Order: sequence, then structure tokens, then C-alpha cells
Amino acid sequence: MNPLATIGAGFLDASETLGGIVMVLVRILRAMVPPRFDRDETWLNLYKVGVKSYPIVIMTAFFTGAIMVIQSGVYVKQTGATGLLGWGAGYAVLAEIGPVLIGLMFSGRVGANNTAELGTMKVTEQIDALRTLAIDPTHYLVVPRFVSMMLMLVLLTVLGDLFALVGGAITSEFVLEVDYRVFFQGVFNSNLLDEFFTGLIKAITFGASISVISCHYGLSVSGGATGVGRAVNASVVSNAIGIFVFDSIITWFANSSLFR
Amino acid sequence: MTHTGFRDTVAEPMPSLREGPMPRAPKQLGEVVLRVRGLKKNFGDAVVLDGIDFEMRAGEVVGVIGPGGVGKSVFVKICCGLMEPDEGHVEVLGTDLLASDQKTKQRLRERVGLVFQNYALFDFMTVGENVAFPMVQRGLAKADEIQVKVQERLAEVDLPNVRHLMPNELSGGMKKRVGLARANINDPELIFFDDPTAGLDPVTSSKIFNLIRRTQAHRNSTCLVISHDIDRMRPACDRYILLLNGLVHFRGTEADAMHSQDPIVKEFFRKGDGSKKPSDER
Ligand SMILES: Nc1ncnc2c1ncn2[C@@H]1O[C@H](COP(=O)(O)OP(=O)(O)OP(=O)(O)O)[C@@H](O)[C@H]1O
Ligand SMILES: [Mg+2]
Repeated sequence: MNPLATIGAGFLDASETLGGIVMVLVRILRAMVPPRFDRDETWLNLYKVGVKSYPIVIMTAFFTGAIMVIQSGVYVKQTGATGLLGWGAGYAVLAEIGPVLIGLMFSGRVGANNTAELGTMKVTEQIDALRTLAIDPTHYLVVPRFVSMMLMLVLLTVLGDLFALVGGAITSEFVLEVDYRVFFQGVFNSNLLDEFFTGLIKAITFGASISVISCHYGLSVSGGATGVGRAVNASVVSNAIGIFVFDSIITWFANSSLFR
Repeated sequence: MTHTGFRDTVAEPMPSLREGPMPRAPKQLGEVVLRVRGLKKNFGDAVVLDGIDFEMRAGEVVGVIGPGGVGKSVFVKICCGLMEPDEGHVEVLGTDLLASDQKTKQRLRERVGLVFQNYALFDFMTVGENVAFPMVQRGLAKADEIQVKVQERLAEVDLPNVRHLMPNELSGGMKKRVGLARANINDPELIFFDDPTAGLDPVTSSKIFNLIRRTQAHRNSTCLVISHDIDRMRPACDRYILLLNGLVHFRGTEADAMHSQDPIVKEFFRKGDGSKKPSDER
């Protein structure tokens, strides 16, 4: 095939996907004012998304904190700047690694699951059945997922931040033999509130993008089980891209002179 | 024909319809509830519908027959607004479907029911929740009223004891009947049945067609029934259309079909082995 045609086709494909994602977002926002969505379905999703994800988030966060401390341990040992241990780990975890890693875990677990679920509903005509029963799939399926993913990713990020710091403290105590109180002093003395809130803004944004992207791929599935598989694949990849794009944008804003 | 009654476990039996002969079509037909003009639909190069004209009046039960893959399901999906036609005009209950906005469509759908060919049950809900769902969502009835009605509708389709099962614990024929109960729960004025008896044994098939006819007479709804089982749908249908090559090849009553000289029509309406037709292998 003509390489130009390939590029053109790829571009059209990407625009179509982006357009579809924006359409899902527009429909969600329209359904939110005034807020009309299914309460039971929202509770169910909060449970599915949040309660079932916290063990993996705690584990990821704990080891992330530990790794941050071990990484910086060599220099801290050499220089004896134990006060910097908490600052380094806290800064990296709260602003960057916490939200991004947890976001990626979340997209792999919840986003992929969501695409598969909606995709299966699509190919088995359950979405059509909703429509014939005069129920708008956006109100019934998409908005509850949007709300619960945003809310839960924020809560999970806070939880993750906490456990990352605990992981860091335990590691510094037992591996580096730096008192955990010194570690926490380092965290609290370095005034990381800005970083913490930047991290939360990232979490909200990632939650929104993961839900919108995974719903879009799920609802636009065609072609049976293989179609669902393809959609889950595409959803996970697009979610990762989305996370890094939004991460860059928010980091850039947070560090630009406008806000300093 | 012999009447095949349903079990008497119904919480609130339909009066006077429980026993006795199958009610016949009302003499006076009402206004037009479905009007289709010049309906065309292609999938890529494949022409599926090539200009369908069709009309249905309140109180009718119309059978739609035709070889597999001719576009019967596509036709009803377009009439329910699940698919967009390439060309044509669809008027449902006096409203232009294709020109109406989302809200109007929504309100229209509350008055229209569809039984899917492939069940389309919600697999994350129990059978009882599936059937109750349209009522719960509409939010007009109390919880105990809904439960009574669900029980009644499930008993109507001969499934009084399955409400706590999940759809994947049912056989194909049972799922079909649950789909029937769900589509019926809000008493729609116009119901589309896409192959309601596929995968059912002959006795249950007859019961289902019987139920369709009785429901229609009791609630004075209008039904469009797609089926391959011409023998068993006979008692339920007032008239038929036969789709062939994207067009309505024949329209009329069974008597019209019997007098027709057209070999294809004759073949489709031949009595006896209704399931195997050479023209099915197109
Ligand atoms: N979503 C779709 N995409 C592409 N082609 C389709 C689609 N849906 C239906 N078709 C095609 O349209 C034609 C009609 O399909 P349809 O399901 O309406 O047949 P049918 O008359 O209901 O058959 P059956 O009696 O077996 O149910 C078929 O040739 C099918 O391949
Ligand atoms: Mg069909």
C-alpha cells in the first residue's frame, strides 16, 4: 500500500477515535446537568471500582515508596543528608509516581474490565435492549462509571500516597537504618501540600480520561468476542497514552511561572 | 384448534382469557400505528432492504416471513430506531421516527416493545430483575406491585419458578420467554417479536403464539411477529408479509396465500413441515 495512504488512513482512524471519545464526554456532561443517573448502578460501580481495587493499590504504593527510598539510599548514606530522604520520596510519590502508577494500575484493572463489560453488552445486544426499553445507556451505564472512577481514583490515590510514605518509612528504618521519625520529619518539613494537590488533580483527570476512553471503546465494539478483545487492547493502550499526555500537561501547568 | 392454557399460578389472571377459544381479530381496525415507506438499507455492497412499503393498524397481528438473512431483523431494528436506514420514511405511533429528537424517541420507546432474536437479557441481573427492570426504571409503580406483575408475567410464559436464577442458568427457550415477559411488562401498544419461538419445542411454541394473540386481544396492542414456524403462527396472525430480495414479495391473509399462483408464496405457506424450506438456503 502507498505509504501516504497508510499515514492518511491512520490519521483518519485516530481522528475518528478522538471524535468518538469527545462525543462520549459531551454526552456525559449533558447527562450531568441536571444530574440524572442511576443511583443503584452508581453504588454498584463505586463498590466494583473502589473496594475491589484497594488491595492492589496498597501493594503498588507500598513498594513504590520502598523503592524510592532504596534508590536514594546510597546518596543519603554517603552524604548523611537523612533529612532529604523524606523530601525526595515524598516529592516524587505525591506529585508524580503515585498518581501515574496508580492510574496505570487502575486503567489496567478497571478500565480494561469496563471496556470488556460494555463491549460484551454491546455485542450481545444488551445496549440495544436498554435503548428499546427507553433507557439511555449514557445515563444508565456511562455516567455512573464516570462518577465512580473519578471519585475512586482520587480516594485510591490518597490511600496510595499514604501507603507509599509508610513503605518509605519502613524501608528507611529497616534497610537504611534511618529513624522513621526522621523520614516523616523530612516529608512534613518540606511543605509538599502543592505536590499533594497536584497529584489529586492528576488523579481526577486520569479517572475522567480512563472512564471516558474505556466507555468509548466498549460501546463502539463490533464483531463478537474478537471485537471485544481488540477493543480491550486498544482501550488499555489509549488509556496509557491519555495518562501520560494529561500528566505532562498538568505537570507543565503546575510548574509554569503562572502558578508560582 | 385446541387451546393450550398456561398454568394457573398466575397472581392476577387475565379475566375471561384463561380458558376458551383463541380470540379473533377485532373487526374494526384502528389508526395506522406503523407506516414504512421506501425503506432501503445496505451493508457495504450488500443490498438488504430495497424499498419496503408497509403499514400496520392498531389491533393487528402481522406475521413477517421470509428466508433467513433476508433482512427481517434489520427491518424491525429500523422500526425500533436501533438502526438508521439509508433511505425511507418510518412513522411509529403517528410520529416520524427518523426526524424525531432523542427525547421524542425515548417517549416513543416507552410505548413500543421488542423481543430480540438473541434474547439480549441483562446478564448481570437475575431473571426477576430483568423482567422488573423496565418497570423499575420508569418508576411509576411500588416495589410490591412490581413484584406481583413480574410473577404474573413470568407465569404467563410458563416460567413461574425461575426469577432468582441468572440468565446464563437458563436454556435458550427459557431465555426467549424471559425476553417476552420483559418486553411485555409495561404493556406496550406496539410489540415486535423477532422469532419468539426459535429454539422452543412445538408445544411451548404454540403456547407462545397463543399468548401473543391473547395478550393482543386483552390489551388491544398491535403485534408484528417474525417467525419461520408458519404452521404454529397461523392461529395468531391476521395477515402476513413475505420478504424476498429486499422487497415485500407478498402481502395478504392466509387465504390469499392459498389462492396465490406464485410458487414461492405457495411454498412458504405449505402446510405440514414448516421448518424446512428449500428456499431457506439462499
Ligand atoms: N450489523 C450488520 N452489519 C453488516 N451486515 C449485517 C448487519 N446486520 C445484518 N446484516 C446483514 O443483513 C442481512 C439481513 O440480516 P437479518 O439479521 O435481518 O436477517 P433475518 O431475515 O433476520 O434472518 P434470520 O431469519 O436468520 O433471523 C444479512 O445478510 C446480514 O448479513
Ligand atoms: Mg433475524
